Amino acid sequence: MIKTDVIIIGGGATGCGIARDLALRGIPHCLVEKGDFAAGATGACHGLLHSGSRYVVSDPIAAKECYDENIILRKIGEKCVEQTGGLFVRLPGDSKLYRERFLRSCEEIGIPAEVISSTKALDLVPNLNPEIEEAIKVPDCSIDPFRLCMLNIATSQRRDGIIFIRHKVTEIVKSHGHCIGVKATDQVTGDIREIRGNVIVNATGAWSHLVASLAGNEVPLTLSKGSIVITNHRLTNMVINRLRPPSDGDIVVPNEAVCLAGTTSLMVEDPDKSRIESTEVDTIISEAGRMIPHFNNTRIIRAFSGVRPLLKSQKSDSREISRGFQIINHENGMYSIVGGKLTTFRLMAEKMVDTIMNYYGLKTPCATAEKPLDGQEELSGYPLSKRLADMKNIVCECELVTRQEVERIIKQTGTRYVGDIQHRTRLGMGPCQGGFCTFRALGIMHEKSIISPEQSMSALRDFLQRRFRGIRYCLWGDQLREEQLVEYIYLGILAMEKPQ
Amino acid sequence: MSVIEYDVIIIGAGVTGFTAGTRLAERGLKVAVVTTGEPTACLSTGCIDVCNGDHNPLHGVTHLPEEHPFHLISQAAIREALDNFANAMTDMGIPYIGTPEENRRILSALGTYKTTCMVPVTMQAAPQNADDDIHIITFSGLKDFYPSYIISRRKNASFSTYDAGVSTTMGIAANFEREDFLETFIPWLGKLNIREDKIAFPAVLGLESAAKIVKKIEDRLKRAVFEIPTIPPSMPGRRLFNALKDYFRKKGGTIYWAWPVAGVEKTGKIIEAVVTESEGRPNSLNARAFVLATGSFVGGGLHAQRDTIVEKVFNLPVHVPGLRETWFDNDYFSFNHGIGKAGIIVDSSFRPVGSAWENIFVCGGILANTEILKSGCGHGLALATGYAAAKSCAEYIR
Amino acid sequence: MKYEHCIRCTICVENCPVLRVNPDFPGPKQSGPDAQRFRMEREKAVDEWVMLCSQCKRCEMACPCGVEPAQIILKAQQRYGLQHPRTLAYLLFANNYYLSALGSLTAPIANTIASTAIGKKIFRAMGIATYIPFPKFRFRTLHNKKKNLSRSTRKVAFFYGCFINFYRPDIGRKIIQLLTSFNIDVVLPPQWCCGLPALGNGNLALARSFAEKNAASLSNYIDAGYDVVYTCTSCGLCLLHDYPGILEIPQGKKIAENSYDLYEYIVKLIDEGHIDPQFREVRRKLAYHIPCHLRALGIGYPATKIMAMIPGLEYEILDDTCCGLNGSYGFKKTNESTAVQLGNRAVSLIRKTGAEAIVADCGSCRMQLAGLSGLTALDPAEIVSESLGITDQK
Repeated sequence: MIKTDVIIIGGGATGCGIARDLALRGIPHCLVEKGDFAAGATGACHGLLHSGSRYVVSDPIAAKECYDENIILRKIGEKCVEQTGGLFVRLPGDSKLYRERFLRSCEEIGIPAEVISSTKALDLVPNLNPEIEEAIKVPDCSIDPFRLCMLNIATSQRRDGIIFIRHKVTEIVKSHGHCIGVKATDQVTGDIREIRGNVIVNATGAWSHLVASLAGNEVPLTLSKGSIVITNHRLTNMVINRLRPPSDGDIVVPNEAVCLAGTTSLMVEDPDKSRIESTEVDTIISEAGRMIPHFNNTRIIRAFSGVRPLLKSQKSDSREISRGFQIINHENGMYSIVGGKLTTFRLMAEKMVDTIMNYYGLKTPCATAEKPLDGQEELSGYPLSKRLADMKNIVCECELVTRQEVERIIKQTGTRYVGDIQHRTRLGMGPCQGGFCTFRALGIMHEKSIISPEQSMSALRDFLQRRFRGIRYCLWGDQLREEQLVEYIYLGILAMEKPQ
Repeated sequence: MSVIEYDVIIIGAGVTGFTAGTRLAERGLKVAVVTTGEPTACLSTGCIDVCNGDHNPLHGVTHLPEEHPFHLISQAAIREALDNFANAMTDMGIPYIGTPEENRRILSALGTYKTTCMVPVTMQAAPQNADDDIHIITFSGLKDFYPSYIISRRKNASFSTYDAGVSTTMGIAANFEREDFLETFIPWLGKLNIREDKIAFPAVLGLESAAKIVKKIEDRLKRAVFEIPTIPPSMPGRRLFNALKDYFRKKGGTIYWAWPVAGVEKTGKIIEAVVTESEGRPNSLNARAFVLATGSFVGGGLHAQRDTIVEKVFNLPVHVPGLRETWFDNDYFSFNHGIGKAGIIVDSSFRPVGSAWENIFVCGGILANTEILKSGCGHGLALATGYAAAKSCAEYIR
Repeated sequence: MKYEHCIRCTICVENCPVLRVNPDFPGPKQSGPDAQRFRMEREKAVDEWVMLCSQCKRCEMACPCGVEPAQIILKAQQRYGLQHPRTLAYLLFANNYYLSALGSLTAPIANTIASTAIGKKIFRAMGIATYIPFPKFRFRTLHNKKKNLSRSTRKVAFFYGCFINFYRPDIGRKIIQLLTSFNIDVVLPPQWCCGLPALGNGNLALARSFAEKNAASLSNYIDAGYDVVYTCTSCGLCLLHDYPGILEIPQGKKIAENSYDLYEYIVKLIDEGHIDPQFREVRRKLAYHIPCHLRALGIGYPATKIMAMIPGLEYEILDDTCCGLNGSYGFKKTNESTAVQLGNRAVSLIRKTGAEAIVADCGSCRMQLAGLSGLTALDPAEIVSESLGITDQK
């Protein structure tokens, strides 16, 4: 049995942010996550660190929050935040009224927004539609969301935080109606772990209502599926937004060596059963293609969806619901923190931890906005082209992941899942989507003797199945050709048998 | 524009194309192979799969789905194609063994068994079951091969590592071609005092001399030696490609590298020429007949657009198995999915069905309903259909 | 954005000669389409290893997807070259034309110095490899040759290239004789280095300046009804591929469409019925080493068509290996080991054929293979001339 003060359920950006905040304030804590980090909305988003301007017309409060956080994250995440800048492009036909309100609101809130001519915009981003009328430059940034979670967790780990991934909370232990702990099942071994604490924080995003109900609590959620497609390479080095009220497919974010384009918005019921559909892929491509015409001919390497947890409201279009967050005190030792965006995760964590501190009459202030994120020393940082300096010992040639990096992750985590290495290094996230490097990564695991042949064969099969879900709907042209080659490699050359 | 004349032009320089080309050249026809790049064969294990569904592949072929193009070829013709291939490969210094009545196995880099029909002699000694003790040799820094995969699956296997000075598949293979390298390596191997019955290597034992090198090691170590195919770059695939290419040239064929076909010239139902791009001027290759052997999607013969599949050389009608949503199943392991059926449907003369052209013959991976992985018929189908289409083409010309 | 088409098949890697022998070179896939996803225009170029690519173009010939890795790498090389200071060897070879002109002017002295031990030491100190002898400069270059005049409707502007001009003008003279014997009016247009040495040594601006001058000169002759004929396959590739390509010469397309390889031209003359050469017996067994740039030209191997017509001539085509020299590439000490290893392999394959001599269209290949094997290396023009009884009329 593990005893701690705060139990955090959920390893997305919010949960990890809370862990970091507690760690810096010296509060013992334990985080429990049913999958790997960023398994929910965090891992299925654009990776966009807003300048806030996207919500500047519809939700100025949220916009200001975003902008303030944008500045903080740029400061504390020097090596992990890519300061790409962003453009809001206005196409012929887009409302000039929206543009006026946009600029006015930015000015009121204090978000730096510079109007630039279409010539200048095309010079900055040559792939833009040459017909754009103008663009507004804002300080958008991008980040790899997995990496963001890792870096937050690094702080917790360095200060004795206890972290369990692949542990699903199945029971909330109560005493006299008060939540005093959780029971979590290790998804690999089946063992049950019991953790006792004084406070439980439910930071499970789209699963909040399910976890809350384990303690008899309620969280009114609306679930909205959003889908994203990933391109083979960077079509733009700046975030591109459409200067109009938020709608489908109007954001393109450069992230590492790819672009993420999206998104869509469809109400769903079950957070575990959301799958991207073929029509969504076509919609995103066509909308993104209006801003960057090459989208219509480019190669898509992956398409996936995630579920946004939104606070329930009567409004039918889930976009209209505020992206702001809410902390619910269930008055029985559990809090739920719901809503929000990736950009404001740190603020959400701060407010959550402040709430807990207040309750216990503790005074230690939040330090997460001042201290640089831990673990950045291991990153190569930006610009991307820095990574071309040394090409030795590369295991994933698409994404330049070295053998040393893979071995380090294996050593640190003892993992047998290629997915874990993938999230932490980007191995297999490039054009061939792990065609070659998966074999190599598992081979390295074998060399380190941490895996049996049954485990590796099943890990490989699982990986290939999961991977396939992400690419099935973008298979045409070059990517279909790629996929047939990868199929020949695994099912032909490596003679993988059909699972029984 | 430069105008060049041949009896037959073959588009596609893979196993299919060279097989068809060689057969036509042997009959005294003036043949040229024209290609955009190098074929899928360069990446393969080099093994000739005929039909994995049955212990006897010739028998297995008869049980394939009725649309499968193997049914267009008689058993005798399949046998003849495989025999011819075996003779050609012996002639070119990379002998193959195997018989079309019995499948055999090779060991994969994952430690699983791959069922196939004919294998290069360097894979002859591959274990057919768990009984053999094997000692695996790997090379420092070689990132495409991990003996631990195999060792974890077998009772009696161990490995040693040699520093070959370079760590790429191609680099190590090139080193093995050097006399001085071999003469340092073999004594090192000897000093290991290997107890196991067989020695396994990743397939890096030379570029063209692999058969000789394997024999040399076997003679000196007095043990059987076999190669395990690697993920691409693949030496056995490379050797197969080079041998087929050189044999074709030996029989009098000409090859035009990096000549993508940009258009055709036609009159009525006859194709008169294909027009290819090149650096200076386009080239017009005139011929009396044309063989299309451009492969499936990887090879570049079929192109999947967002809503349909096309063939770009002659714009032949392509059998498309349904809407894009149906091309792939949810299960990754459904082997070829629906799209394995896509391709050109041909009649018994290997002419494309649904097209008016009299003098085009289609063979190989571009054919419809091949389902190569499901049927386990890759290079075997290429050899057989290349051979048969060439026969049909030769008859047409006469 | 051709790199988008790359499916990572590694066929280019299978073909790369440098990757096989130099562990510092990541190969065409990693240097081209893989790295290109990380290259950012406005950022500093840090990919020094990209200079190790010899631009043999074998990767491009092999790629089934139209990625053109060598072109991606060429652009990356130019970018790197612009941002980082070039070593002395690179500077010298980029300006090979001027240095060779100087060398030929002072031929006897230059040749003596180059062959002495101290001369070689100086070269090595400058970063130049000396594993094969430097080609000997000739005083009487083609510039000095009086032009033949003959009346004919067929006119050729002969682009002879630096190798022929400064080292083997005798071959140049034979070629002029040969074409003249076909009743062709051969003119030596004002010409400079084609620009490939400058391009290959990271100096795009110098390459472009040569190209502009050549383009203007050749353009005039093309407009006057002349066909341009080249004999060095690397000059040819530069004229046909780089002039309209990376050098962005406006007349580039016109030049590409009107320039012919010598043997391609002779075959054309035969096919069109303009000539009916009576080839006399030449009893020789040759190994025909196909220069990488001949393959890249996309004209097939036209010299084989002519050699096939010469009675008694036996030849075997060897097109699987790069000789390793690649113009000035192998002459740089940093690439010496690569060049020697590749050259030795090419030589061993030649020896296996049992040939008595080597034939290759490219002067650089001939230097390398002769230097490493001790065998004679001939230009196909020498065989053709011998068969037609053409001798060098000094």
